[in-house]
Amino acid sequence: MHNGKAVVLVVEDSPIIRMGAIDLVVSAGYEALEAQDADEAIRILELRDDVDLVFTDVDMPGTMDGIRLAHYIRDRWPPVRLLVASGAAIIEESSLPLGSKFFSKPYHDHAITDAMARMLAGNP
Amino acid sequence: MPNSPTDHFEAASTLAVVVSSHEPLLFLSQDLKVLAASASFCRTFGIEPSTVSHKRLSDLGKGEWAMPKLASLLKATASGNARIESYEIDLIRLDQEPRQLVVNACKLDDGDEQRTRLLLAITDVTEGRAEARLKDALIRDRAMLLQEVQHRVANSLQIIASVLMQSARRVQTEEARGHLHNAHHRVMSIASLQRQLSASHDGDVELRAYLIQLCQSLGASMISDPSRLSIEVNVDESVVGADVSVSLGLIVTELVINALKHGFPDEREGMIHVQYGSGENNWKLSVIDDGIGMPAGDNAPKAGLGSGIVEALARNLNGAIQVSDAGPGTNVTISHRNTSGAAPNFLGADSNATIS
Repeated sequence: MHNGKAVVLVVEDSPIIRMGAIDLVVSAGYEALEAQDADEAIRILELRDDVDLVFTDVDMPGTMDGIRLAHYIRDRWPPVRLLVASGAAIIEESSLPLGSKFFSKPYHDHAITDAMARMLAGNP
Repeated sequence: MPNSPTDHFEAASTLAVVVSSHEPLLFLSQDLKVLAASASFCRTFGIEPSTVSHKRLSDLGKGEWAMPKLASLLKATASGNARIESYEIDLIRLDQEPRQLVVNACKLDDGDEQRTRLLLAITDVTEGRAEARLKDALIRDRAMLLQEVQHRVANSLQIIASVLMQSARRVQTEEARGHLHNAHHRVMSIASLQRQLSASHDGDVELRAYLIQLCQSLGASMISDPSRLSIEVNVDESVVGADVSVSLGLIVTELVINALKHGFPDEREGMIHVQYGSGENNWKLSVIDDGIGMPAGDNAPKAGLGSGIVEALARNLNGAIQVSDAGPGTNVTISHRNTSGAAPNFLGADSNATIS
Protein backbone atom coordinates (compact mmCIF):
# COMPACT_ATOMS: atom_id res chain seq x y z
CA MET A 1 0.00 0.00 0.00
CA HIS A 2 1.15 3.48 -0.76
CA ASN A 3 -0.94 6.52 0.24
CA GLY A 4 -3.90 4.19 0.69
CA LYS A 5 -3.58 2.75 -2.79
CA ALA A 6 -2.63 -0.85 -3.49
CA VAL A 7 0.70 -1.07 -5.34
CA VAL A 8 0.90 -3.28 -8.44
CA LEU A 9 4.19 -4.12 -10.14
CA VAL A 10 3.86 -4.88 -13.86
CA VAL A 11 6.63 -7.09 -15.31
CA GLU A 12 6.52 -7.26 -19.09
CA ASP A 13 9.21 -6.99 -21.76
CA SER A 14 6.99 -5.77 -24.60
CA PRO A 15 6.81 -1.97 -24.17
CA ILE A 16 3.34 -1.54 -25.66
CA ILE A 17 1.79 -4.39 -23.67
CA ARG A 18 3.54 -3.01 -20.55
CA MET A 19 2.14 0.46 -21.28
CA GLY A 20 -1.35 -1.03 -21.71
CA ALA A 21 -1.04 -3.01 -18.48
CA ILE A 22 0.09 0.08 -16.53
CA ASP A 23 -2.77 2.11 -17.98
CA LEU A 24 -5.10 -0.67 -16.91
CA VAL A 25 -3.71 -0.78 -13.36
CA VAL A 26 -3.86 3.01 -12.97
CA SER A 27 -7.40 3.22 -14.36
CA ALA A 28 -8.43 0.57 -11.83
CA GLY A 29 -7.25 2.94 -9.09
CA TYR A 30 -3.95 1.31 -8.08
CA GLU A 31 -0.44 2.66 -8.05
CA ALA A 32 1.61 1.08 -10.85
CA LEU A 33 5.31 0.22 -10.91
CA GLU A 34 6.99 -1.23 -13.97
CA ALA A 35 9.83 -3.61 -14.76
CA GLN A 36 10.90 -5.01 -18.10
CA ASP A 37 12.28 -8.27 -16.78
CA ALA A 38 12.55 -10.44 -13.67
CA ASP A 39 15.86 -8.93 -12.55
CA GLU A 40 14.49 -5.42 -12.57
CA ALA A 41 11.36 -6.63 -10.78
CA ILE A 42 13.47 -8.16 -8.00
CA ARG A 43 15.48 -4.93 -7.63
CA ILE A 44 12.23 -2.99 -7.21
CA LEU A 45 10.88 -5.48 -4.69
CA GLU A 46 14.13 -5.19 -2.70
CA LEU A 47 13.86 -1.39 -2.65
CA ARG A 48 10.18 -1.11 -1.83
CA ASP A 49 8.32 -3.02 0.81
CA ASP A 50 4.87 -1.82 -0.23
CA VAL A 51 4.23 -3.92 -3.37
CA ASP A 52 0.93 -5.78 -2.95
CA LEU A 53 0.64 -7.60 -6.27
CA VAL A 54 2.92 -8.56 -9.16
CA PHE A 55 1.40 -8.92 -12.62
CA THR A 56 3.98 -10.69 -14.78
CA ASP A 57 4.48 -11.98 -18.29
CA VAL A 58 6.08 -15.44 -18.66
CA ASP A 59 8.38 -15.34 -21.67
CA MET A 60 10.98 -12.65 -20.94
CA PRO A 61 14.68 -12.23 -21.54
CA GLY A 62 16.95 -12.23 -18.50
CA THR A 63 17.89 -14.75 -15.87
CA MET A 64 14.35 -15.83 -14.99
CA ASP A 65 11.11 -16.28 -16.83
CA GLY A 66 7.81 -15.25 -15.25
CA ILE A 67 7.16 -18.67 -13.74
CA ARG A 68 10.52 -18.75 -11.95
CA LEU A 69 10.00 -15.14 -10.91
CA ALA A 70 6.62 -16.04 -9.42
CA HIS A 71 8.20 -18.84 -7.37
CA TYR A 72 11.07 -16.59 -6.31
CA ILE A 73 8.66 -13.90 -5.12
CA ARG A 74 6.46 -16.38 -3.28
CA ASP A 75 9.55 -17.71 -1.54
CA ARG A 76 11.11 -14.35 -0.67
CA TRP A 77 8.05 -12.12 -0.24
CA PRO A 78 5.23 -14.55 0.60
CA PRO A 79 2.44 -11.95 1.08
CA VAL A 80 2.77 -10.55 -2.47
CA ARG A 81 -0.13 -11.67 -4.70
CA LEU A 82 0.78 -13.09 -8.10
CA LEU A 83 -0.94 -12.78 -11.44
CA VAL A 84 0.68 -14.39 -14.48
CA ALA A 85 -0.19 -13.90 -18.18
CA SER A 86 1.32 -15.62 -21.20
CA GLY A 87 0.85 -16.03 -24.92
CA ALA A 88 1.41 -19.76 -24.46
CA ALA A 89 -2.12 -21.11 -24.70
CA ILE A 90 -2.11 -23.21 -21.56
CA ILE A 91 0.19 -23.08 -18.61
CA GLU A 92 -0.63 -25.47 -15.84
CA GLU A 93 -1.65 -23.43 -12.82
CA SER A 94 0.05 -26.24 -10.89
CA SER A 95 3.39 -25.01 -12.26
CA LEU A 96 2.74 -21.70 -10.52
CA PRO A 97 2.89 -20.95 -6.79
CA LEU A 98 -0.29 -21.85 -4.95
CA GLY A 99 -2.83 -19.04 -4.98
CA SER A 100 -1.49 -17.34 -8.10
CA LYS A 101 -3.74 -16.77 -11.11
CA PHE A 102 -3.02 -17.41 -14.76
CA PHE A 103 -4.46 -15.66 -17.82
CA SER A 104 -3.69 -16.45 -21.43
CA LYS A 105 -2.97 -13.59 -23.81
CA PRO A 106 -4.67 -11.68 -25.20
CA TYR A 107 -6.45 -11.11 -21.91
CA HIS A 108 -9.56 -9.07 -21.27
CA ASP A 109 -8.73 -5.97 -19.26
CA HIS A 110 -11.75 -6.45 -17.03
CA ALA A 111 -10.75 -10.08 -16.32
CA ILE A 112 -7.41 -8.80 -15.05
CA THR A 113 -8.86 -5.96 -12.95
CA ASP A 114 -11.54 -8.30 -11.52
CA ALA A 115 -8.84 -10.79 -10.52
CA MET A 116 -6.70 -8.02 -9.01
CA ALA A 117 -9.63 -6.68 -7.00
CA ARG A 118 -10.46 -10.16 -5.68
CA MET A 119 -6.85 -10.94 -4.80
CA LEU A 120 -6.24 -7.58 -3.14
CA ALA A 121 -9.42 -8.02 -1.11
CA GLY A 122 -7.90 -11.24 0.18
CA ASN A 123 -10.09 -13.59 -1.83
CA PRO A 124 -8.64 -16.33 -4.04
CA MET B 1 35.24 -77.15 -47.00
CA PRO B 2 37.30 -78.41 -43.98
CA ASN B 3 36.07 -81.69 -42.75
CA SER B 4 36.50 -84.16 -39.88
CA PRO B 5 35.09 -87.66 -39.29
CA THR B 6 32.41 -86.30 -36.92
CA ASP B 7 31.18 -83.70 -39.37
CA HIS B 8 28.01 -84.23 -41.27
CA PHE B 9 27.58 -82.93 -44.72
CA GLU B 10 24.73 -80.53 -45.06
CA ALA B 11 22.69 -80.83 -48.21
CA ALA B 12 24.27 -78.60 -50.82
CA SER B 13 20.90 -77.04 -51.53
CA THR B 14 20.50 -76.00 -47.86
CA LEU B 15 23.87 -74.28 -47.88
CA ALA B 16 23.10 -72.65 -51.23
CA VAL B 17 19.81 -71.29 -49.89
CA VAL B 18 21.61 -69.81 -46.87
CA VAL B 19 24.44 -68.31 -48.94
CA SER B 20 22.06 -66.68 -51.38
CA SER B 21 19.77 -65.20 -48.69
CA HIS B 22 19.14 -61.55 -49.28
CA GLU B 23 18.99 -60.87 -45.53
CA PRO B 24 22.18 -61.46 -43.51
CA LEU B 25 21.81 -65.04 -42.31
CA LEU B 26 23.99 -67.53 -40.39
CA PHE B 27 23.47 -71.27 -40.36
CA LEU B 28 24.95 -72.64 -37.12
CA SER B 29 25.61 -75.96 -35.53
CA GLN B 30 24.54 -76.72 -31.96
CA ASP B 31 28.00 -75.76 -30.67
CA LEU B 32 27.71 -72.43 -32.52
CA LYS B 33 30.03 -73.17 -35.39
CA VAL B 34 29.22 -71.52 -38.69
CA LEU B 35 27.98 -74.07 -41.25
CA ALA B 36 27.21 -71.36 -43.78
CA ALA B 37 26.96 -67.59 -43.92
CA SER B 38 25.01 -65.67 -46.48
CA ALA B 39 26.95 -63.48 -48.87
CA SER B 40 24.84 -60.57 -47.58
CA PHE B 41 26.08 -61.26 -44.02
CA CYS B 42 29.73 -61.19 -45.11
CA ARG B 43 29.16 -58.02 -47.14
CA THR B 44 27.23 -56.20 -44.44
CA PHE B 45 29.63 -57.00 -41.61
CA GLY B 46 32.92 -56.95 -43.56
CA ILE B 47 33.85 -60.58 -43.22
CA GLU B 48 35.81 -62.52 -45.86
CA PRO B 49 33.42 -65.28 -47.10
CA SER B 50 36.16 -67.88 -47.53
CA THR B 51 37.07 -67.67 -43.80
CA VAL B 52 33.71 -68.41 -42.24
CA SER B 53 33.04 -72.07 -42.73
CA HIS B 54 33.31 -74.13 -39.54
CA LYS B 55 34.63 -71.20 -37.61
CA ARG B 56 33.13 -70.60 -34.21
CA LEU B 57 30.69 -67.70 -34.17
CA SER B 58 32.89 -66.11 -31.51
CA ASP B 59 35.93 -66.27 -33.81
CA LEU B 60 34.30 -64.53 -36.79
CA GLY B 61 36.02 -61.37 -37.97
CA LYS B 62 38.12 -59.98 -35.13
CA GLY B 63 36.04 -61.65 -32.47
CA GLU B 64 33.32 -59.01 -32.43
CA TRP B 65 30.62 -61.70 -32.57
CA ALA B 66 31.82 -63.16 -29.25
CA MET B 67 28.90 -61.71 -27.37
CA PRO B 68 28.09 -63.71 -24.22
CA LYS B 69 24.47 -62.53 -24.39
CA LEU B 70 24.05 -63.75 -27.97
CA ALA B 71 25.75 -67.07 -27.21
CA SER B 72 23.54 -67.73 -24.23
CA LEU B 73 20.40 -66.89 -26.22
CA LEU B 74 21.49 -69.18 -29.07
CA LYS B 75 22.22 -72.02 -26.64
CA ALA B 76 18.79 -71.61 -25.09
CA THR B 77 17.28 -71.66 -28.58
CA ALA B 78 19.21 -74.82 -29.46
CA SER B 79 17.98 -76.59 -26.35
CA GLY B 80 14.44 -75.52 -27.21
CA ASN B 81 14.07 -73.33 -24.10
CA ALA B 82 13.75 -70.04 -25.89
CA ARG B 83 13.22 -68.37 -29.19
CA ILE B 84 15.07 -65.26 -30.15
CA GLU B 85 12.56 -62.92 -31.68
CA SER B 86 13.59 -59.41 -32.60
CA TYR B 87 16.25 -59.31 -29.92
CA GLU B 88 18.31 -56.14 -30.01
CA ILE B 89 22.07 -56.16 -29.56
CA ASP B 90 24.90 -53.78 -30.36
CA LEU B 91 27.77 -54.94 -32.53
CA ILE B 92 30.98 -53.33 -31.27
CA ARG B 93 33.96 -53.37 -33.63
CA LEU B 94 37.38 -51.84 -33.27
CA ASP B 95 37.66 -48.40 -34.89
CA GLN B 96 34.06 -48.47 -36.08
CA GLU B 97 30.82 -46.97 -34.90
CA PRO B 98 28.66 -49.49 -33.01
CA ARG B 99 25.88 -50.98 -35.11
CA GLN B 100 22.43 -51.66 -33.76
CA LEU B 101 21.28 -55.14 -34.71
CA VAL B 102 17.98 -56.93 -34.46
CA VAL B 103 18.46 -60.69 -34.36
CA ASN B 104 16.03 -63.54 -34.88
CA ALA B 105 17.01 -67.14 -34.33
CA CYS B 106 15.24 -70.45 -34.58
CA LYS B 107 16.00 -74.17 -34.63
CA LEU B 108 15.96 -75.63 -38.09
CA ASP B 109 12.99 -77.94 -38.28
CA ASP B 110 13.96 -80.51 -40.93
CA GLY B 111 12.99 -83.72 -39.18
CA ASP B 112 16.58 -84.57 -38.19
CA GLU B 113 16.27 -85.29 -34.46
CA GLN B 114 19.97 -86.14 -34.04
CA ARG B 115 21.50 -82.87 -35.00
CA THR B 116 20.35 -79.44 -33.94
CA ARG B 117 21.12 -76.57 -36.25
CA LEU B 118 20.21 -72.95 -35.90
CA LEU B 119 19.29 -70.19 -38.29
CA LEU B 120 20.30 -66.74 -37.13
CA ALA B 121 18.98 -63.78 -39.10
CA ILE B 122 20.61 -60.43 -38.41
CA THR B 123 19.23 -57.07 -39.48
CA ASP B 124 21.31 -53.94 -39.17
CA VAL B 125 18.84 -51.26 -38.07
CA THR B 126 21.41 -48.55 -37.33
CA GLU B 127 20.43 -46.33 -40.27
CA GLY B 128 16.72 -46.98 -39.83
CA ARG B 129 16.92 -46.04 -36.15
CA ALA B 130 18.93 -42.92 -36.94
CA GLU B 131 16.34 -41.92 -39.53
CA ALA B 132 13.54 -42.51 -37.04
CA ARG B 133 15.36 -40.37 -34.47
CA LEU B 134 15.87 -37.65 -37.07
CA LYS B 135 12.21 -37.80 -37.98
CA ASP B 136 11.21 -37.56 -34.30
CA ALA B 137 13.54 -34.60 -33.90
CA LEU B 138 12.01 -32.91 -36.96
CA ILE B 139 8.50 -33.49 -35.65
CA ARG B 140 9.54 -32.06 -32.27
CA ASP B 141 11.16 -29.05 -33.95
CA ARG B 142 8.07 -28.45 -36.03
CA ALA B 143 5.82 -28.63 -32.97
CA MET B 144 8.10 -26.19 -31.13
CA LEU B 145 8.13 -23.83 -34.09
CA LEU B 146 4.36 -23.97 -34.31
CA GLN B 147 4.12 -23.25 -30.59
CA GLU B 148 6.50 -20.33 -31.02
CA VAL B 149 4.38 -18.94 -33.87
CA GLN B 150 1.19 -19.32 -31.83
CA HIS B 151 2.91 -17.61 -28.94
CA ARG B 152 3.89 -14.72 -31.19
CA VAL B 153 0.38 -14.45 -32.63
CA ALA B 154 -1.05 -14.30 -29.10
CA ASN B 155 1.44 -11.59 -28.15
CA SER B 156 0.69 -9.59 -31.28
CA LEU B 157 -3.03 -9.80 -30.60
CA GLN B 158 -2.29 -8.64 -27.03
CA ILE B 159 -0.44 -5.61 -28.39
CA ILE B 160 -3.41 -4.71 -30.61
CA ALA B 161 -5.89 -5.31 -27.78
CA SER B 162 -3.78 -3.18 -25.39
CA VAL B 163 -3.59 -0.28 -27.83
CA LEU B 164 -7.34 -0.39 -28.52
CA MET B 165 -8.21 -0.44 -24.82
CA GLN B 166 -5.80 2.40 -24.03
CA SER B 167 -7.41 4.45 -26.80
CA ALA B 168 -10.87 3.57 -25.51
CA ARG B 169 -9.94 4.81 -22.03
CA ARG B 170 -8.64 8.09 -23.43
CA VAL B 171 -11.26 9.16 -25.99
CA GLN B 172 -13.80 11.75 -24.91
CA THR B 173 -16.97 10.68 -26.69
CA GLU B 174 -19.14 7.66 -25.97
CA GLU B 175 -19.49 6.99 -29.70
CA ALA B 176 -15.76 6.77 -30.31
CA ARG B 177 -15.39 4.62 -27.22
CA GLY B 178 -18.09 2.30 -28.57
CA HIS B 179 -16.26 1.92 -31.88
CA LEU B 180 -12.99 1.15 -30.15
CA HIS B 181 -14.67 -1.41 -27.89
CA ASN B 182 -16.22 -3.05 -30.96
CA ALA B 183 -12.83 -3.21 -32.63
CA HIS B 184 -11.51 -4.78 -29.43
CA HIS B 185 -14.32 -7.39 -29.47
CA ARG B 186 -13.41 -8.29 -33.06
CA VAL B 187 -9.77 -8.78 -32.12
CA MET B 188 -10.76 -10.91 -29.14
CA SER B 189 -13.07 -12.96 -31.39
CA ILE B 190 -10.10 -13.82 -33.60
CA ALA B 191 -8.03 -14.51 -30.47
CA SER B 192 -10.66 -17.05 -29.32
CA LEU B 193 -10.31 -18.82 -32.65
CA GLN B 194 -6.54 -18.72 -32.38
CA ARG B 195 -6.84 -20.42 -28.99
CA GLN B 196 -9.05 -23.16 -30.47
CA LEU B 197 -6.65 -23.61 -33.36
CA SER B 198 -3.64 -23.98 -31.10
CA ALA B 199 -5.45 -26.84 -29.35
CA SER B 200 -6.37 -28.43 -32.69
CA HIS B 201 -4.00 -30.86 -34.38
CA ASP B 202 -5.31 -30.69 -37.92
CA GLY B 203 -6.40 -27.07 -38.30
CA ASP B 204 -10.07 -27.94 -37.83
CA VAL B 205 -12.12 -26.30 -35.15
CA GLU B 206 -14.84 -27.75 -32.96
CA LEU B 207 -17.45 -25.09 -33.50
CA ARG B 208 -19.26 -25.66 -30.22
CA ALA B 209 -16.21 -25.14 -28.00
CA TYR B 210 -15.20 -22.13 -30.08
CA LEU B 211 -18.58 -20.38 -30.02
CA ILE B 212 -19.03 -21.10 -26.29
CA GLN B 213 -15.65 -19.52 -25.53
CA LEU B 214 -16.37 -16.63 -27.87
CA CYS B 215 -19.75 -15.85 -26.29
CA GLN B 216 -18.28 -16.23 -22.78
CA SER B 217 -15.69 -13.65 -23.72
CA LEU B 218 -18.30 -11.30 -25.24
CA GLY B 219 -20.60 -11.73 -22.26
CA ALA B 220 -17.83 -11.16 -19.75
CA SER B 221 -16.85 -7.85 -21.31
CA MET B 222 -20.29 -6.53 -22.33
CA ILE B 223 -22.76 -7.81 -19.76
CA SER B 224 -22.43 -5.95 -16.47
CA ASP B 225 -25.35 -7.70 -14.79
CA PRO B 226 -25.41 -11.41 -15.66
CA SER B 227 -28.70 -11.87 -13.82
CA ARG B 228 -30.33 -9.50 -16.30
CA LEU B 229 -28.81 -10.65 -19.60
CA SER B 230 -27.31 -13.93 -20.69
CA ILE B 231 -26.15 -15.70 -23.84
CA GLU B 232 -27.09 -19.30 -24.56
CA VAL B 233 -25.06 -21.27 -27.07
CA ASN B 234 -26.60 -24.28 -28.74
CA VAL B 235 -24.34 -25.82 -31.36
CA ASP B 236 -24.18 -29.33 -32.81
CA GLU B 237 -21.00 -31.38 -33.15
CA SER B 238 -19.86 -29.66 -36.32
CA VAL B 239 -16.17 -29.47 -37.01
CA VAL B 240 -15.18 -26.85 -39.59
CA GLY B 241 -11.99 -25.54 -41.14
CA ALA B 242 -10.20 -22.47 -39.80
CA ASP B 243 -11.39 -20.18 -42.62
CA VAL B 244 -15.06 -21.02 -42.16
CA SER B 245 -14.85 -20.82 -38.37
CA VAL B 246 -13.23 -17.38 -38.36
CA SER B 247 -16.10 -16.10 -40.56
CA LEU B 248 -18.79 -17.75 -38.41
CA GLY B 249 -17.10 -16.39 -35.26
CA LEU B 250 -17.00 -12.84 -36.59
CA ILE B 251 -20.63 -13.05 -37.70
CA VAL B 252 -21.62 -14.22 -34.20
CA THR B 253 -19.51 -11.44 -32.67
CA GLU B 254 -21.25 -8.73 -34.72
CA LEU B 255 -24.75 -10.09 -34.16
CA VAL B 256 -24.27 -10.57 -30.42
CA ILE B 257 -22.73 -7.09 -30.00
CA ASN B 258 -25.65 -5.66 -31.95
CA ALA B 259 -28.26 -7.49 -29.89
CA LEU B 260 -26.63 -6.50 -26.59
CA LYS B 261 -26.28 -2.87 -27.65
CA HIS B 262 -29.69 -2.25 -29.14
CA GLY B 263 -32.02 -5.03 -28.02
CA PHE B 264 -32.19 -4.38 -24.29
CA PRO B 265 -32.52 -0.70 -23.39
CA ASP B 266 -33.75 0.56 -20.01
CA GLU B 267 -32.44 -2.37 -17.96
CA ARG B 268 -34.63 -4.76 -19.91
CA GLU B 269 -33.99 -8.43 -19.04
CA GLY B 270 -33.45 -11.03 -21.69
CA MET B 271 -31.47 -13.72 -23.38
CA ILE B 272 -29.60 -14.17 -26.62
CA HIS B 273 -29.59 -17.59 -28.26
CA VAL B 274 -26.75 -18.51 -30.59
CA GLN B 275 -27.61 -21.63 -32.58
CA TYR B 276 -25.79 -23.58 -35.23
CA GLY B 277 -26.77 -26.83 -36.88
CA SER B 278 -25.69 -28.56 -40.04
CA GLY B 279 -27.00 -31.31 -42.27
CA GLU B 280 -25.40 -33.15 -45.13
CA ASN B 281 -25.62 -30.23 -47.53
CA ASN B 282 -26.63 -27.28 -45.45
CA TRP B 283 -26.01 -25.37 -42.30
CA LYS B 284 -27.84 -22.70 -40.38
CA LEU B 285 -26.54 -20.12 -37.94
CA SER B 286 -29.01 -18.09 -35.90
CA VAL B 287 -28.66 -15.35 -33.34
CA ILE B 288 -32.03 -14.79 -31.68
CA ASP B 289 -32.77 -12.30 -28.94
CA ASP B 290 -35.93 -11.55 -26.98
CA GLY B 291 -35.28 -7.83 -26.84
CA ILE B 292 -37.30 -4.92 -28.23
CA GLY B 293 -36.95 -5.97 -31.86
CA MET B 294 -35.60 -4.02 -34.79
CA PRO B 295 -37.30 -0.77 -35.68
CA ALA B 296 -38.63 -0.98 -39.25
CA GLY B 297 -39.27 1.57 -42.00
CA ASP B 298 -38.04 5.10 -41.42
CA ASN B 299 -36.96 4.26 -37.87
CA ALA B 300 -34.61 1.52 -39.07
CA PRO B 301 -31.05 2.25 -38.00
CA LYS B 302 -28.50 3.11 -40.64
CA ALA B 303 -26.46 0.05 -41.58
CA GLY B 304 -23.13 0.26 -39.79
CA LEU B 305 -19.80 -1.47 -40.12
CA GLY B 306 -21.16 -4.45 -38.20
CA SER B 307 -23.90 -5.24 -40.71
CA GLY B 308 -21.42 -4.69 -43.54
CA ILE B 309 -19.12 -7.28 -41.98
CA VAL B 310 -21.98 -9.76 -41.53
CA GLU B 311 -23.14 -9.31 -45.14
CA ALA B 312 -19.66 -9.70 -46.61
CA LEU B 313 -18.86 -12.78 -44.57
CA ALA B 314 -22.25 -14.41 -45.19
CA ARG B 315 -21.86 -13.83 -48.92
CA ASN B 316 -18.40 -15.35 -48.79
CA LEU B 317 -19.85 -18.46 -47.11
CA ASN B 318 -22.65 -18.62 -49.73
CA GLY B 319 -25.14 -17.95 -46.98
CA ALA B 320 -28.45 -16.11 -47.21
CA ILE B 321 -29.29 -13.65 -44.42
CA GLN B 322 -32.82 -13.58 -43.12
CA VAL B 323 -33.93 -11.11 -40.47
CA SER B 324 -37.29 -11.81 -38.86
CA ASP B 325 -39.39 -10.81 -35.89
CA ALA B 326 -38.86 -13.29 -33.05
CA GLY B 327 -41.91 -11.91 -31.20
CA PRO B 328 -40.49 -10.45 -29.03
CA GLY B 329 -37.07 -9.67 -30.36
CA THR B 330 -35.10 -10.33 -33.49
CA ASN B 331 -33.99 -13.48 -35.27
CA VAL B 332 -31.08 -13.18 -37.66
CA THR B 333 -30.42 -16.43 -39.52
CA ILE B 334 -27.71 -17.16 -42.04
CA SER B 335 -28.54 -20.29 -43.98
CA HIS B 336 -26.45 -22.10 -46.50
CA ARG B 337 -27.48 -24.79 -48.94
CA ASN B 338 -24.64 -26.52 -50.69
CA THR B 339 -25.21 -27.92 -54.15
CA SER B 340 -21.65 -29.16 -54.60
CA GLY B 341 -21.88 -31.36 -51.50
CA ALA B 342 -18.91 -29.94 -49.58
CA ALA B 343 -20.69 -29.16 -46.32
CA PRO B 344 -19.09 -28.99 -42.90
CA ASN B 345 -19.23 -32.30 -41.04
CA PHE B 346 -22.37 -33.22 -39.25
CA LEU B 347 -22.03 -35.67 -36.41
CA GLY B 348 -25.39 -35.33 -34.68
CA ALA B 349 -26.17 -34.62 -30.99
CA ASP B 350 -26.90 -31.18 -29.63
CA SER B 351 -25.64 -29.54 -26.52
CA ASN B 352 -26.43 -26.47 -24.51
CA ALA B 353 -24.39 -23.98 -22.63
CA THR B 354 -25.55 -20.88 -20.91
CA ILE B 355 -23.25 -17.93 -20.62
CA SER B 356 -24.05 -15.07 -18.37
